[in-house]
Amino acid sequence: MSDSSLKVQNNVACTLDLREGDVEAAFKESEVVLERTFRTNRRYHVQLETKAVLVKPDINGGVTVWSTTQTLHNSRLLLHEVFGLPMGKIRVMKTPLGGSFGSSIQVNTVTLIAVAMALKTRRPVKIHFTREEDIHDHCSYSMVFKLKLGAMRDGLLVGGHLDAWLDLGSHQIQAYPLLGCMAGWWVSLYKLKAKSYSSKAVYTNKTPSCAFRGYGNPQVSWMVETMMDELAEKLGVDPLDFRLKNYVGKGDLFWGQGPTVKSIIQSCGVEEILRRGAEKVDWYNRPDAGSQTGRYRRGIGMGRGYHTSSAGAPVPGSVIDFSGAFLKLNEDGTLDYVTALMDHGGGTLEAHAKIIAEELCVPLENVNLIDADTSTTVYDVCTHASRGIYSGGGAALKVTKQVKEKLKAFAARMLDAEASALKFRCDEGRGQGVIYAEGVQGREVTFKEIAYNARHKNWGTVSAVDSYRQPACPPHFTGYFIEVEVDTWTGKVRPVRVVAGADIGTVINPKLAAGQVHGGLAMGWSMAIMEDLPIDTATGELANRGMITDYKIPYARDMPPLDDFEVFFTDTYEPTGPFGAKGIGEGALNPVAGTVANAIQNAIGIRFYELPLTKERILEAIAKKEGN
Amino acid sequence: MNINTHNTHIVMGFKYHAPTSVAEAVKLLSEYGGDASALAGGTDLIVRMKDGSHRPKHVVNLKRIMGLAEIKETRESIHIGTLTRIRDMEKSELMGKRLPVLQEAARTLGSVQIRNLATLGGNLCNASPCADTAVALLAYDAVAHIAGPKGDRAVPLDSFFKGPGATALERGEILTGVSVPKPAKNTGGRWLRVARASMDIATISLAVTVKLKDGVVEDSRFAWGTVAPTPMRTKEVEAYVRGRRLDHACIEEAARLASRSIKPRESGRSRGPYKRRVAHGFVVEALTSLMEAQR
Repeated sequence: MSDSSLKVQNNVACTLDLREGDVEAAFKESEVVLERTFRTNRRYHVQLETKAVLVKPDINGGVTVWSTTQTLHNSRLLLHEVFGLPMGKIRVMKTPLGGSFGSSIQVNTVTLIAVAMALKTRRPVKIHFTREEDIHDHCSYSMVFKLKLGAMRDGLLVGGHLDAWLDLGSHQIQAYPLLGCMAGWWVSLYKLKAKSYSSKAVYTNKTPSCAFRGYGNPQVSWMVETMMDELAEKLGVDPLDFRLKNYVGKGDLFWGQGPTVKSIIQSCGVEEILRRGAEKVDWYNRPDAGSQTGRYRRGIGMGRGYHTSSAGAPVPGSVIDFSGAFLKLNEDGTLDYVTALMDHGGGTLEAHAKIIAEELCVPLENVNLIDADTSTTVYDVCTHASRGIYSGGGAALKVTKQVKEKLKAFAARMLDAEASALKFRCDEGRGQGVIYAEGVQGREVTFKEIAYNARHKNWGTVSAVDSYRQPACPPHFTGYFIEVEVDTWTGKVRPVRVVAGADIGTVINPKLAAGQVHGGLAMGWSMAIMEDLPIDTATGELANRGMITDYKIPYARDMPPLDDFEVFFTDTYEPTGPFGAKGIGEGALNPVAGTVANAIQNAIGIRFYELPLTKERILEAIAKKEGN
Repeated sequence: MNINTHNTHIVMGFKYHAPTSVAEAVKLLSEYGGDASALAGGTDLIVRMKDGSHRPKHVVNLKRIMGLAEIKETRESIHIGTLTRIRDMEKSELMGKRLPVLQEAARTLGSVQIRNLATLGGNLCNASPCADTAVALLAYDAVAHIAGPKGDRAVPLDSFFKGPGATALERGEILTGVSVPKPAKNTGGRWLRVARASMDIATISLAVTVKLKDGVVEDSRFAWGTVAPTPMRTKEVEAYVRGRRLDHACIEEAARLASRSIKPRESGRSRGPYKRRVAHGFVVEALTSLMEAQR
């Protein structure tokens, strides 16, 4: 990098074009071709934690940093590159987050400013955004899509072309990889034998955009699921059957993170999600679209989606994704688990602890989650891409297996037994993991006894540290069935009932996983109905001036009663995941906006191509359709 | 963009006063005039002081004055003191029995936390076109009681609001409370409101009271929020329904009249055509359910 000024030619930040197969021929062959233009809203993350940093200058000339971040090691790497400090003099500490939702995938601007100030003044520096400042700091990318799909009369998709424009605001944070991912999100929903993609990211004088739960997938899925519904209608086939005929599933190639991160799908619950969901809502007897009259009209919509679990792949690709972990046996038989992976508040590390406890047969409370920082952990890329359990949990399982082998070897020496014959069990009464030789009375030893023996006989500490790269990026699949009620006198839409199915492989924390689905519904509902960040065109300022009172998201009372919200998980097992697990965080959100739009269409017979579906927009459309 | 203009701190200096009597408060407010702001719940004033849009040199806290936070029933009317918290109105049994539309309106204002602080007087004197209690009180023919340097006076609430943030209060005057004539036994009412979310200021609201005898309207009030620079009544609609039987044709015509009579801005948070459509529906809903309740 140099300080010479760039020659600015236009506001295009980057472009990406892709092509596979003969698209023109595919459209010619198609019996029905549909083309639509879609516009998304611009959304603020509304994460609990506003961006903040505390920097302590250290006596050795370095800094210790507590910051809102989803990645300890990438934070240290950037600070090293920007300030030239030796890496041993930069410590980035884990700091609890309140969701983040992608708003700290990049190193937050406040972090760099505070480090610069601390290095200059040699005094501690703290910067903590107010909510108003935070709303000016980051938001989702808004997008414009032009999608063309061709299909045969029998409901088989043939070809597609997507033009995508990305409004990235005033900074480029990760626009180019996003263009690739958006292509991936599109082509991995449904099979197209020929497809082409043309995309462009442009700078505007708006709040900078960054990753936001789903990384473009909620927007892309809204577009695709709206279009699939409309295309099914044109073809005269049921929209659910249409999806079942064309979905990308087991054995198919999956684009986990755009064109360079791909793997073959080895577990898939799409059919189970759609069939069980359809049965629960009596799908095939839902009302005909637009058949109702009267003030309140109800409709049922469905939508499906998925998200990659990590950016793993059989080959390195162009996206970094590996994790690492450290596990050691303490003298009391408990285990200290140390990872750089951040838990955003969803209970990811609790799931890691369960994986470790399950593998070693120890009580869950014997696994200690240890606060960590860059100096005490090995590299983990970042908590993103729904990889916390799949990749991070994979690393935890890898070191646990190594610790298990060492435990076995020590136990074999103590018990005078064949290591390969030893078994593990959890003794809840003694609060210990126990290793024993089956069928031989008295040949057993607790973890505590092993640790005691290993110390007194100078055998050393039972521990393991390692990195782990996942060989795949398995999609976790989700599907929603939502019943809505549209008040045609006010344009207000109410969620009446939600049925959500998720294929996340083995479910490690059922309640927390269901919680992710509930949160995904709330966030997706909000995206569909409520959120936007319009600009005052006269001043260039946000119309809400950064005030959260004028940025509405749903309150508890705006969500369906818990009794009318059912979450079910499929019976699937991901061979590459820890105990068969995949991710959930982003897939829980991705199909929601499309599902809500389809439900509204079913209720009032109107399709919308621009988000959000505010009461004003809905009432205007009804008035236009019904002529009053 | 000057990001520090909407911060979480009050950045300007001001002098704080805490009078313990109405006379003392009136004296302070007379002395400082436009440089002073009266403080009650603070849910509007403090927000505006934080964002810098309001910079009083003197803040006169009225909450030390005793006797202004009562809900009392007399033979002819119900009196609500200016410092009555919205939460107390929401929970008052008397209010539920006598002024249900006002109680419903109170229930929709802000959050529990806000209602625990906000006062009736604050909601009225802030004079926002969407003030929920103001709209409901207009439908009950409320009278505003004012104390000032020239003595006490009473003003019909209908002429209390002069524009967004502007009231009939003159220099040195404070609102001490409102009184509402007891509605007749055959008076029914409805509160209707739509907003972006369950906790939000109203996009549009309607308070209706109707005195019905054998299906015929003896008298009525239609009061609206967020359809004009002040909370307003649509007297054309009131005049039209007087003496008429509430049937579908009458309701439809009243709704049509209402939708024409409101005066929303055509631009802004929610545009005029939207509010006119909703107003039509609101009148149909309110009158239809009142008609059915009488059967």
